[in-house]
Amino acid sequence: MSSELLWYLSRATGVVSIVLLTVVVVIGMVTAGRRRPHADRATIAAGIHRWLSLGMTVFIATHIITAVAEGYVDISWLSVVVPFTSGYETVWIGFGAIAIDLLVTIIVTSLLRHRISERYWRGIHWASYGLWLFAIIHGFALGTADQPILQGITLACGVVGGLAASWRVAVSHADTDRRQEIKSQEWV
Amino acid sequence: MSNIIELINAAGLTGRGGAAFPSAIKIKAAKENKARLIVNVCDGEIGAAKDGWVVANHLNELLEGVALITSGHAKPIFAAHRDSTTARLLAAAGLKVLEVPHRYVSSEETSLISLAHGGTARPMTKKAPFVFGGQRSDGKRIRPTVVLNAESVWRVSQISRRGVDWFRSYGTDAEPGPRLVAVGGFVSTPSIIEAAAGIPLMDLINLAGGLDPSVRFVGVGGLGGILLTADEARSAIWDTPTMKSYGGGLGPGIITVWDPRQAAAHTAGAMIAYGAGESAGQCGPCMFGLPALSADWNAFAMHPGADSHRRLQNRLTLFERRGACAHPDGVSRFATSALRVLGPELLQSQPYFAGGNQPTEVLSYV
Amino acid sequence: MSNARAVESELARIGIDRVLCTGHGICARTLPEAVALDEWGYPILATDAVPPADAKLAVKLCPARALFLR
Repeated sequence: MSSELLWYLSRATGVVSIVLLTVVVVIGMVTAGRRRPHADRATIAAGIHRWLSLGMTVFIATHIITAVAEGYVDISWLSVVVPFTSGYETVWIGFGAIAIDLLVTIIVTSLLRHRISERYWRGIHWASYGLWLFAIIHGFALGTADQPILQGITLACGVVGGLAASWRVAVSHADTDRRQEIKSQEWV
Repeated sequence: MSNIIELINAAGLTGRGGAAFPSAIKIKAAKENKARLIVNVCDGEIGAAKDGWVVANHLNELLEGVALITSGHAKPIFAAHRDSTTARLLAAAGLKVLEVPHRYVSSEETSLISLAHGGTARPMTKKAPFVFGGQRSDGKRIRPTVVLNAESVWRVSQISRRGVDWFRSYGTDAEPGPRLVAVGGFVSTPSIIEAAAGIPLMDLINLAGGLDPSVRFVGVGGLGGILLTADEARSAIWDTPTMKSYGGGLGPGIITVWDPRQAAAHTAGAMIAYGAGESAGQCGPCMFGLPALSADWNAFAMHPGADSHRRLQNRLTLFERRGACAHPDGVSRFATSALRVLGPELLQSQPYFAGGNQPTEVLSYV
Repeated sequence: MSNARAVESELARIGIDRVLCTGHGICARTLPEAVALDEWGYPILATDAVPPADAKLAVKLCPARALFLR
C-alpha cells in the first residue's frame, strides 16, 4: 500500500473512531443517568454500549497501525503507548497515547468486571470521560486540523459529548436520591 | 475440649437470635476458617431484652462459651448498642465492644460484620456465609467472621458444663434445650423467662403477670414476627410448628402483650411505619417498597374497603427474598399477620369509618 | 417427567445482588420468562432457573453488575 493511501486510511479510521467513541460514551452516560420506564431502550443501549465499544477497537487499531506504518511522519510503536515520546507532534500524539492506555485499561477491566472489585471497576470506568476528552483533543489538533469537514465532525462530537456530560451531572433519579438520603443518616 | 462441636451437635443447639440455624455447623465452620467471633448482644428486635440479661447475669459463663468456641485465636468482639447498659457492662469487663448505632437493621448479622470491617452498620449481600470470608457488594474484602447470639454462646458453656442430657431435658425432641423469652408489653411484671419449646404460651405470659381480660392481641417476635388474637394466644403452644401455623416462628424469643387501650390497627401501622423508616436504603424493593406498604396499610386502616384491602394484599406479595437482608421479609410477615388478625374487623367497621357522610346515629353508636 | 428433569438440570441459576441493583430493568427484557419488574423497575424473580445462554447474556448486559450466576 502506498504511503498516501495509508495516510488517508489513518485519517478516516481516526475520525470514525472519534464518532464511535462518542456514541459509546454518550450511550454509557444515558445508561448511567436514566431509569424506568425505558427498559426496552435501556436494553438496546446496554447492548450497543457493550458491543460497539468492542467493535470500535477495530477502527482504532487500524488507525494506529496505518499511522505508524505510513512513512510520511515518524511515529514509533513506543509512542503509541508511552505518552509524549513521539518526535512528531509530541503533545498531541501523547494525548492519543494516553487515550489508548485508558481505553485498554477500561476495556480489560470491563471484560473482567465479574472477577475484580466493583469499586475498582467503577473508579476506572470514570476515566472514560478523560479517555474521550483526550481522544477529541488529539483528533482535533492533529489529523483534522486542515480538513474542515473532519474538523467539523470532531467538533460536533465534542459538543454532543459535552452536552451529554452536563446532562449526566445535572440528572438524577429516584434510586440514587433515596440511597443518598438514607446513607446520610447515622450508620456507624 | 476438641469434641465441643460433637457435644453441641448432640445437644441440638440452634441459634437463639431467631434464625434457628444449627450452631454446631456454624461453629465448626468458624473453627475451620479461623473466623473472628462477634457475639451479638444488641437485642435489636422490638421488645428484645434477653441477650443483655445474659451479660448482666451470666457474664462468666458467656465468656466461658466464647473460649470454647474460639479456642484462643483472634480476640472476640461483643456487639452492643452505643451507650447502652449492656455496652457499659461489657466495657467494664475489659472486653472489646463494637458500638452499634441505634438502627433496627444494624444489629443484623451482616451489618455487624460490615461495621467490624470499618464499614457502615448496614446489611451486606450474602452470596455465601461470611464465616468463609467474602466480599461486600462494592468489592471490599471481608475476612472470615462468625456472628453468634449471646444466648447461643451462653448455652454452649452450659452444654459443656452440664452435659447433653441436661440440655435435652428441656424442650421438645425437635427443639431441645432451654431458651430465654422476654415477655413484655401490657403485663404487670415484664420478665425474662427461662423457658423451653413445647409449653403453653400462656404459661410464659402468666409468669409475667398474666393476660388481662381486656387484652385482645399478643405479638410474637416483634417487628419481624406475628400477631395473635388473645384467644389464639390462650391456646397456643410455644413451639415452631404452632407459630408456623400462624405464619411465624419462635424468633428471638419475644412475646409482647398489646395494650388494649390503643387501637391495634394504629399500633401495627406505627410499627410498619417504623420498619419503613429503618430501611438501610440499599435495596430498591425495601427502600421504596416498605414506605409504600406503610402507606397502603394506613390507607386500609383509615378507609377499610375491598379496594384498599386488595391493594394492601397485593403489596404484601412483593417482599419475599427481595432484600440483601430479611428486613423487608420480616416487616411484610408482620404486616401479613396483622392483616390476618385485624383485617376482618376493620372491614366490618367499614360503614362507620369509611365515608364521611354516615348517619350520625351510626357514628354515635360506635 | 424424566425429560423435564433433564431440562431442569441444564438450566443455569441466577441471583440478584439487591444492593447493587439500581433498577435499569434490562434483565426483564433479556430474561422475560424469569424476571418481571415492580413499579419502581426492580426485578421480581418468578424463577431463578433460566437457559444458560440467556443467563450469560443477561449477566453481561446488567449495567449495575447486580445479576450473577450462582
